Amino acid sequence: MNTGDEWKEVPFNSRDPVYLQVVRHFKERIATGRLSAGQVVPSRRELGALMKINPNTVQKAYKEMEEQRLIMTEGNSPSKVTSDAEVLSRIRAELLGEAVQAFVASVRKIDVPIDELLQLVKRKYEEAPEHD
Amino acid sequence: MIEVTDIRKRYRRRDVLSGVTFAADKGQITCLIGLNGAGKSTILKAIMGLTPIAGGSIRIDGQAPGPKLYEKVAFVPDRLTMPSGMKLIEAHRFMADFYAGWNGERAGELMRFFGLSYSDRIGSLSKGTAAKFNLLLGLSQDSDYILMDEPFAGIDLFSREAITEVFTSELIEGRGVLFTTHEIGEMEHLIDRAVLLQGGKVERAFDCDEMRGAEGKSVIDVMREVYRA
Repeated sequence: MNTGDEWKEVPFNSRDPVYLQVVRHFKERIATGRLSAGQVVPSRRELGALMKINPNTVQKAYKEMEEQRLIMTEGNSPSKVTSDAEVLSRIRAELLGEAVQAFVASVRKIDVPIDELLQLVKRKYEEAPEHD
Repeated sequence: MIEVTDIRKRYRRRDVLSGVTFAADKGQITCLIGLNGAGKSTILKAIMGLTPIAGGSIRIDGQAPGPKLYEKVAFVPDRLTMPSGMKLIEAHRFMADFYAGWNGERAGELMRFFGLSYSDRIGSLSKGTAAKFNLLLGLSQDSDYILMDEPFAGIDLFSREAITEVFTSELIEGRGVLFTTHEIGEMEHLIDRAVLLQGGKVERAFDCDEMRGAEGKSVIDVMREVYRA
């Protein structure tokens, strides 16, 4: 299932809050379809051991994800990824927005006409090998 | 909560601790950081009542330390203190005799987890193995708090990794962990709070994730500010 190696080797940086990096990692997985709507996520204990973070940090990350309605926990059953289409599209928009923002910020330094840039982006995007 | 308030100590005409104040919460991993000779070990020993202090106070869950303290707070000193001729199995029995909160089942699990052998003698253990067994003796007590003095000092990478894994497990869940170190290394992402000692005082004390969120600084960044200034 979704336990195992895929959760290991997530590189953490030292300058963003660890729990937010965990939340972000979940968002990336959801946006790329590696975690699908309604799928059961690892338990808090499992995730701590897999990602090598302490139980408190895991707890903070899950709480944040519950508040952002990324995951849902009903009673004693395991937490699941939300099936709420609105939340799912919000995550996608958020990640996409951030990526474009970063791209624009780095390209702006080069001072390239927008048309040339868009053409270049289009060509690169189309020739890029498909992932997954 | 372990509350250390304004504790002072002089040793060989030098102020080792000149008014140290900080707290370590239950359910959190607190790291006491300082360069060699900063008084980190002295603070842990003072909490355990193993060294007298000249002033200040120590409270554990609001109570002054007393005989019951040793069931509530486990202490892992910087080296294994069991007699070297003792076999590990005998050390287990020794602990079971002395500590009401000794959890034999957990001790057995940890023996397997660390790959230790009951028939080995304390004196024949390698440095890394001795560090693991030392930690086992502390973790196998059902205590609310656990203090560890330099659990990562001078041991090999793989022993360090095995010990790090303990910090991500249910073994410490709900307990208050306070450990000392002079380098943060791979613990950066594992600790909740950092307390930085400098010149016998607490220079900075902060929640690591809050520091990252508010100032974008890692624990190492803050250490650089304090120790290279």
